[in-house]
Amino acid sequence: MQSFGLATPGNGLHDVTEQVAEAIAKIVVKEGIVIVSVPHSTAAVTLVSPWDTLGLEDVHDEICRLVPARIDFKHQHDTPQDAAGHVKAAIVGHSRSIILAEGKLMLGHSQRIYFWEFDGPRRRTVQVQVVGT
Amino acid sequence: MSDRSIPLLDHATGLPDMIRGETMRLEGHVRRLIPTPDTYRLRQIILTGCGDSLIGGYSVATALRAWTGLAVQALPAMEASRYLDTPPVQADARGILVLCISNSGEAARVVEAAQRLRAIGALTLAVTNSPASRLAQAAELVIDLSIPPGSTGANARGHAAALMTLWLIGIRIAEVRMRITMEEADARRALIARQADPVERSLAACAAVCAQAADRWSGHRNADLLGSGPCLGAAQFAAAKLVETTGIHASAQDIEEFHHLNYFIDRPAEMPTIVFTATDAAAASRMRELAGTLHDLGRPTLLITDAAADTSSPPNQHLHLQLPTAEEWVLPLLHIAPAIMLAASWAEKAGCTPFRGHAGAWAGAQQGRLVRESFIQSGPQDRDERAT
Repeated sequence: MQSFGLATPGNGLHDVTEQVAEAIAKIVVKEGIVIVSVPHSTAAVTLVSPWDTLGLEDVHDEICRLVPARIDFKHQHDTPQDAAGHVKAAIVGHSRSIILAEGKLMLGHSQRIYFWEFDGPRRRTVQVQVVGT
Repeated sequence: MSDRSIPLLDHATGLPDMIRGETMRLEGHVRRLIPTPDTYRLRQIILTGCGDSLIGGYSVATALRAWTGLAVQALPAMEASRYLDTPPVQADARGILVLCISNSGEAARVVEAAQRLRAIGALTLAVTNSPASRLAQAAELVIDLSIPPGSTGANARGHAAALMTLWLIGIRIAEVRMRITMEEADARRALIARQADPVERSLAACAAVCAQAADRWSGHRNADLLGSGPCLGAAQFAAAKLVETTGIHASAQDIEEFHHLNYFIDRPAEMPTIVFTATDAAAASRMRELAGTLHDLGRPTLLITDAAADTSSPPNQHLHLQLPTAEEWVLPLLHIAPAIMLAASWAEKAGCTPFRGHAGAWAGAQQGRLVRESFIQSGPQDRDERAT
């Protein structure tokens, strides 16, 4: 397994495609499934189109509309943003799997891998593992 | 040091271990204290208490104001109890958080403030070492400091625990209201815990200079203690310890106010002046001007700061105590050490009995009767009960 650190400047989508590709290059396996995972409960991983940055904002705005930070969450150990972040991360999921072929990520033309921060700014970790031959 | 001074010094030497051991325990309590909806309702924070407890409020008010963005003020318990619930009462009094500070939880005026301000709907929180006290009963929320008690009235550990708790409450409010990030909040909490080492170094640095000051000044009957912002709280605490231990007239003053008021006190050579400051303090430029002013007056001075001594000053007139550098808001914790050490050394040299032994003319203060047994008014309506 490989991992890399990330200091998120705030909430939203942060492109980690290049860091994931660099992590894969250090792994001998060239054919299989790449799993990108985040060991956090208020962050997630997803694939989104990078071409219009306003589209990235739409994606983030929409999940905030669905799960706004409210002050009446039962989880009050941390902040309302943190409580909402748990819900958002649970909905989106903490990992994504991507096909690896000839040592390359099989991403589409309009796909990049994004770390999705729901409780930033924070120092985070992204884990990369390949299952295959 | 004689037996008279030892309890006081025990309190000071126990500070580093207390800070190391208690910061995160107190943080665990503070974290669960105020429900999030109430935290979001806040518009104002009032810190109230008497004596050292009020000084604690003054010491942290600037930090809490900056962190929370709320209107924060420290008020004497008399003002909080008798001058806030007079009609017309503020409509959304629930937006007022009243931090009622009393180590014993039995100071009558603080109990009264909690009762009366809770009655008008304010959110009252007792910061006390006595969870079964009248104050704990009167307030809606309670944080039990659980610091082992020490000698009456000279409880440096209790004062430090109150400072730490009040800062932790401010950090928590700022964090929940998302004025600061969780990482920034955790960094400030860790900074409080890390003060154990600087406080230890401060204690070590204090002894010789405070003994020198006591040798020179123990014959004087007055002292001025000056500071601004958080350092005014430090000056107030030091003045309180001097009064308690030596019985001299020691008063604390903001450095700007000094230029308007105590500057004019006659016989300046008989007025030791202790100044609390730091190189990066917001008031640093005025402090530099003050140093010249004190020199021109001919006042004997002790400058307590993180800067190195100015070797151009005449050593016979001016004393200098260099303490570790720290962020300005945390200085009241560092300055407990010189306050205690100076008071203990002065009392030792002058042969004073702390609190005049609660004997003779001062017997009325035994068992805290003077402040515990004062009549508690339930509200403005029974104002004249004792007068009729």
